[in-house]
Amino acid sequence: MSTPVKKLVTAIATSIAVMGAGHATAEIKIGIAGPMTGPVAQYGDMQFSGARMAIERINADGGVMGEELVGVEYDDVCDPKQAVTIANTMVNDGVRFVVGHLCSSSTQPASDIYEDEGILMVTPASTSPEITERGYELVFRTIGLDSMQGPVAANYLISQDPESVAVIHDKQQYGEGIATAVRDTLEEGGVEVAMFEGITAGAKDFSSLVTKLRQADVDYVYYGGYHPELGLILRQARQAELDTIFMGPEGVGNKDINTIAGEAAEGLLVTLPPSFDEKEENQELVQAFEEKGEDPSGPFVLTSYTAVQLIADGIEAAESTDPFEVAEALREGTFQTPIGTVEYDSKGDMESFEFVVYEWHSDGSKTPVN
Amino acid sequence: MQDLLYFVQQLINGLTIGSTYALIAIGYTMVYGIIGMINFAHGEIYMIGAYTALIAITGLTALGIVWLPLILVVALLCAMIVSSSMGWAVERVAYRPVRGKHRLIPLISAIGMSIFLQNYVHLAQGSRNIGFPALIEGGFRFGAEDSFQTSITYMQITIFATTLVCMTILSLFISRSRIGRACRAVSQDLGMANLLGIDTNRIISATFVIGAALAAVAGLLLGMYYGSIDPLFGFIAGLKAFTAAVLGGIGSIPGAMLGGLILGVAESMTSGYLSGEYKDVVSFGLLILILLFKPTGLLGKPEVEKI
Repeated sequence: MSTPVKKLVTAIATSIAVMGAGHATAEIKIGIAGPMTGPVAQYGDMQFSGARMAIERINADGGVMGEELVGVEYDDVCDPKQAVTIANTMVNDGVRFVVGHLCSSSTQPASDIYEDEGILMVTPASTSPEITERGYELVFRTIGLDSMQGPVAANYLISQDPESVAVIHDKQQYGEGIATAVRDTLEEGGVEVAMFEGITAGAKDFSSLVTKLRQADVDYVYYGGYHPELGLILRQARQAELDTIFMGPEGVGNKDINTIAGEAAEGLLVTLPPSFDEKEENQELVQAFEEKGEDPSGPFVLTSYTAVQLIADGIEAAESTDPFEVAEALREGTFQTPIGTVEYDSKGDMESFEFVVYEWHSDGSKTPVN
Repeated sequence: MQDLLYFVQQLINGLTIGSTYALIAIGYTMVYGIIGMINFAHGEIYMIGAYTALIAITGLTALGIVWLPLILVVALLCAMIVSSSMGWAVERVAYRPVRGKHRLIPLISAIGMSIFLQNYVHLAQGSRNIGFPALIEGGFRFGAEDSFQTSITYMQITIFATTLVCMTILSLFISRSRIGRACRAVSQDLGMANLLGIDTNRIISATFVIGAALAAVAGLLLGMYYGSIDPLFGFIAGLKAFTAAVLGGIGSIPGAMLGGLILGVAESMTSGYLSGEYKDVVSFGLLILILLFKPTGLLGKPEVEKI
């Protein structure tokens, strides 16, 4: 036999062997859905890196009930329309467990499809309360709610005893939801909300808004939304010499805001989940991330890791890969995870989740504020 | 007094934005005036101009050049050259082969080009917002120290001045130069101009090149003014500039200028006195009103049916 033919035969034999092996051990597909591209892809990176790490480590430990986890990644660009499309793709691909989505406005419409098609979803990042308000059986999250995060921010502001505060949002489910929670808490706490106004996500010109904020002469500005817009507002505000202190939710707290706002990001207040990567029991995991050259400090890295781990733990507790039985097991059990002990209420929300106020610096670091 | 200062400030904000809308709108209006098609890829040309300028600025800074005028001039030239060649290429590839066909065909071709360019930049430059260095800082302030002050930044002055200079040069070019005269002839009657020995293909290419160069100027100015760029920002700006062109009368160059300024001021007054949420409602509402009551736009001439 001449060499090229030999090579071909070997190749065919190998591929048959590989295919055979694929059939021998069944696999459990975990769909990971989040933004790989688009303006908030930075958060998607955190989500994918956390979920990949969890899948790798669980497989290295022998998988789940002897089966291997396989991560299948989907890009939803944080666009509700795209989220629905990929949710349907996942149905076709036979995915029965999803870690995602990231933006609340994507999670909401996609979860309708998952619930109908019997797919279990754990979102590591969507904080909008409405997602778990609809009595769905298969929806869980590994993060707190805007109705917890908003009051943390508002109570901090109240403790600073300001005369008046302006609340701005980007009119999207996440931004407006959290801005509303902040406004309501501020008003209950007797602080005047001088302005409550929406901007358009994706807009670049905030000169009119900045002028209005200067006119309103408020002590603090709270912004509900993501970093691309707040970065520009901060920068344009500083250029117009408006030196009010700004505050935002975890959607603004990542290093991309520094490339947009530069020096203007110094002193921004952000509510974030506590730094799970600084907890002592997570140091071994943190090291594993660092060996891969990845940064575990982003707010959604370990929540995504936890989402995968919960799916795996749920499957083992239920001794079944049926999403309904896994959901049942998740509601009943108590799980030890990198973000702490997780217990679910009947809606699929965690019984407790803490948010902390941080001060952001122009070099991308943050320090906790008391 | 306070209220007056606030009004003046919003007026300045609006005029700044408006003049850049006008710069972009020129591209739409000239192309429409000459071949009667809407170049929907124009917003992307503007976006590419901004990216090129940023790359040039970053490169020059890395080389250790800090003299501001030199950086600006080089960035501007790079942006204009790249955008212009892009405008020229887009016309050759996507519009010339389908010219003279049913008018929907170049329209679809333009939309396809716009999607292609957006995704090309996505791939080449990444999809994130990139910060644009603020090269021109500082400004003048008016009003009492402890109350509301009207400020006009050097950046805003630069934008006005550049727009004004560009518009003046363009008007002189169209009314005085040989190519300008040929442009007007082609716009009045393409077939006839062809018969009279004008190389109409060259004139049409020139139109695309001029429009793209002005869009590049707008790209550099707005990149510096706003502070960040992303591959999708040409789309919204293009839409606004298109609205400005229609508002002023599509096909008319002074109309594009007027339309841009009106749109900019309307937007900033809406967010200043009503709410930022209604900004786009007002600008597109204005477009609908104009189309209903004066379909040719403010300065547009009604099309005379030639028999």
